[in-house]
Amino acid sequence: MTGTSLRVLIVEDEAFIALELECLLEEAGHVPVGIAGHSAQAIALGRDQRPDVALVDVHLVDGPTGIAVARALSAQPETTVLFTTANAKRLPEDFAGAAGVIAKPYSERVVRAALAYIAGRRQGGDPGAPPDGVTLAPDLQNRS
Amino acid sequence: MIGRGRMAGADRLGENRPGPADPGASAPRDRAEGRGPARSTGGGVDPAGAAGPEAVFAAAFRASTSPMVLTDARQPDHPIVFANPAFCRLTGYSAAEVLGRNCRFLQGPDTDRGAVARVRAAVSRGEPVSVDVLNYRRDGTPFWNAMALNPVPDAAGGIRSFFAVLTDVSGTRQAERALARARDDLEQDVDGRARALQAALDQQTALLHEVDHRVKNNLQVISSLVLLKARRTRDAACREALNSMAERIGALATVHRLLYSVGDVNRFNLRDFAADFGADLAAGLDPDRIRLTIDVDAIAVSASRAAPLALLVHELATNAVRHAFPGERRGRVAIVARRRADAMTLEVSDDGVGLGPHDANPEGFGRALVGMVVRQLRGSLAWEDLAPGTRARLVLPLDADEAGA
Repeated sequence: MTGTSLRVLIVEDEAFIALELECLLEEAGHVPVGIAGHSAQAIALGRDQRPDVALVDVHLVDGPTGIAVARALSAQPETTVLFTTANAKRLPEDFAGAAGVIAKPYSERVVRAALAYIAGRRQGGDPGAPPDGVTLAPDLQNRS
Repeated sequence: MIGRGRMAGADRLGENRPGPADPGASAPRDRAEGRGPARSTGGGVDPAGAAGPEAVFAAAFRASTSPMVLTDARQPDHPIVFANPAFCRLTGYSAAEVLGRNCRFLQGPDTDRGAVARVRAAVSRGEPVSVDVLNYRRDGTPFWNAMALNPVPDAAGGIRSFFAVLTDVSGTRQAERALARARDDLEQDVDGRARALQAALDQQTALLHEVDHRVKNNLQVISSLVLLKARRTRDAACREALNSMAERIGALATVHRLLYSVGDVNRFNLRDFAADFGADLAAGLDPDRIRLTIDVDAIAVSASRAAPLALLVHELATNAVRHAFPGERRGRVAIVARRRADAMTLEVSDDGVGLGPHDANPEGFGRALVGMVVRQLRGSLAWEDLAPGTRARLVLPLDADEAGA
């Protein structure tokens, strides 16, 4: 799709969703660096792998801990966090440091477009409007 | 009635009075207080004619059923110099027991000190005052006294006496208290019910969110499952069938995402769906070969019809995209929906190969599915040969509330 390959951490407690996402990322030319279904596991993996992007579900094996995972991972300067959730209304106002949300149920197209958009932002180019199906965090909306 | 001479001679007040008698205040005095008006009138004397207007007033006060009392403002501590029989009946004291005393003997343990202070202040300023005060009878039982106290001026502009009319308002007070209690109870009841309703509503909202979340998540799981299986399937036809199913699930997933993301969970906007679906469909097309145009009115459809309608749009559009342009044939596909007064029309047209090849294609399931959904929606569908191309035209009656939206 785009030339930029991203190293992506998948934080998702539903095994089938995580596996399919992994296949999709590879197909789109990105590099999945791991799958975590538990918050502690996700934070540890993030620290070890230092991914470019973390796709984080809000609801994990140990509860709605995706928020805490997003806070921890987005504190790493090299990691951009995107939530993947069916319930964006439960997110804190500041998106817990995440750049945006991919609304579930998402299509392959939206995931591809979202990652291409993030890749563009990370390269410092004019990102333009985010793809439909992706909602940016309030502070990013103001900047773009 | 009673003559002045008799009054003066039998003045019991004189015995009780702490200070010298005040002739000016003596007019209403009488020994007969407390015995009621019957005795006074039973004397057979014509009061008005014999004693002049002051005696008439005194007789009127005695006869009144309103409890009344007069104090002497010129004596220390304002002793009572007159109390009518109605006052005696109300308080249980005989006239002899009250004459010469200050009115404060009516006070008791639960008398409001504030009310007493207001009376005292008015008396010291020589002003009239009205208060509701809890007083006590001779036997100790309390009653609510709505008292109106008025200064009585003398010829020199000073104050000769204070004249009080008492009204037993215990009944009213009790009724007021009962009413206030009933009102408080009612308010509490209403508050309680409002809280219960709010709690039920909150719970319902939470449940709706939870169910919504689960539906969306499960659709993502189902879609992932089918796609995973498709990825691992070697047979091309089988893989194609699985991908088609994943796309249908995707269309349903889009419906659910749109249904609950906007405020109204009962409505579904066909235009929002078409835009979203169109983007997904176009992502899989070579834009130089097949051009997709979408022109859909904002049509609010009830939630119950959202899924079949979305599925129908999906089937008609994918059918055109997949089968109207075999080989490297180029062309365009248009999705147009219009809202009429009581119906909507949906047209999916292409300029590809005509109807003929469609019938023989392996996507026969798609056509069968369209037929089922059209029946479910109680619509009518017509295929039209555009030579070149095909147009599928659906007419769908709108419900009263859909048409009004």
